[in-house]
Amino acid sequence: MKFTPRLPDENVNVSRTHPLAELAWLLGGLLLLCLLVFGGLGLAVDLTVDHLPTRVENWLGDYARRQFPARESAPLQRRLDALTAVLPPGSPLRDRIFRVRLSSDPRVNAVALPGNTIVIFSGLLDAVTSENELSMVLAHELGHFAHRDHLRQLGRGLVITAVAALLFGERSGVTELASDLFLTWQASYSRRQEAAADAYALELLVARYGQAAGATDLFARLAAKKGRRPSRLLASHPYPEKRIELLRQLIEQRGFPIAERTPLGDDLRRLSAEEAGKGE
Amino acid sequence: MVEFFLQSPDLVIFLVLLALGYAAGSLAEKRHYKSIEKRERELVRLAVVTAEGSFPPGRVRQAFLVSGSTVVSIDYFKRLLAILRNIFGGRVKAYESLVDRARREAILRMKAEAQQRGAGMILNLRLETATIGRNANRKNQVGSVEAIAYGTAIVFNK
Repeated sequence: MKFTPRLPDENVNVSRTHPLAELAWLLGGLLLLCLLVFGGLGLAVDLTVDHLPTRVENWLGDYARRQFPARESAPLQRRLDALTAVLPPGSPLRDRIFRVRLSSDPRVNAVALPGNTIVIFSGLLDAVTSENELSMVLAHELGHFAHRDHLRQLGRGLVITAVAALLFGERSGVTELASDLFLTWQASYSRRQEAAADAYALELLVARYGQAAGATDLFARLAAKKGRRPSRLLASHPYPEKRIELLRQLIEQRGFPIAERTPLGDDLRRLSAEEAGKGE
Repeated sequence: MVEFFLQSPDLVIFLVLLALGYAAGSLAEKRHYKSIEKRERELVRLAVVTAEGSFPPGRVRQAFLVSGSTVVSIDYFKRLLAILRNIFGGRVKAYESLVDRARREAILRMKAEAQQRGAGMILNLRLETATIGRNANRKNQVGSVEAIAYGTAIVFNK
């Protein structure tokens, strides 16, 4: 057999698809998959949350508490106890014991964690100027407990992280990115849930003080200085102007009186100053 | 939007690496293929076969081993494509060109060595590939592919 040197006409060993086209297809498929999983499991979470046993919630709470290092605080606990004392007689929250903890975090925020725990960030403590405002925030978080929003959010975030861990492996950069991104997005409640918690909080505020002063103060102040420093409370809770408007409408509709605000107690002022000193 | 990116440096780093991987990777691949094709044309007259040969007595003056090896790195963009491909299955097209380049480069180097030493033919070509580098067996790391080509070079009597 004679050997004839010749170059092959074309290379069959390499696919001709453009890499960017392939990326688009794969990302599209992944996105669709995520939407299906997210939608489906999200729905499942919504359905199970209402029947989640307290034992499971407490276990989740232990896990969540580790993510938010915070300490107990007697002055804050007194404010919360005063609020839970005026819960309506039929409320399911009456059977539970709520704890409030203080986190040395300069952001203006508060979170409701599973296991009946509310975490107040020291930035928020610094931002409030009256007892009524603080009570409004605490009551708002109680509203999330009443509607079990805290579990819904945690559920979705966990679902996404679990799916990413399955797809990419537990210690993968993609998983960390996914959990970070989705947990951040998920940490914000939907506008509907926020409005419901606001309405709940307003009722409780009126039950506690007999009037509605201070209900909108904090949001108004944060909205006013929004341009200077983006606050987390606003970033995760969209449209503060709309929330203020909604609350004002509610106050008007139900004819709640508005009287003097109760100034911040000395114990809280000391606590706030202590935290500020720590931060420096 | 800008705020969102500023708040997630991980995402920014990821996107920058991705763009860098795509740009640098594509450029390197284009230039490599150009050089491969040029050298293949130059060396096309040196026969390489996978068969074991036998020649009439007195025809072969010298026979020796020639080899060529090359290591090509995976870029960040190709790695992402491969990760996504792992989910859906199918041909990992991103790696096909990589392995193709490594094999052809290895054969070319082997041929270059044979030509340098005056061989007229290479018999019994063998090809091996392997993953290589510090991160070859570690997850989440960019690895490299190694290809080695070896065969028996024959120097004929004139």
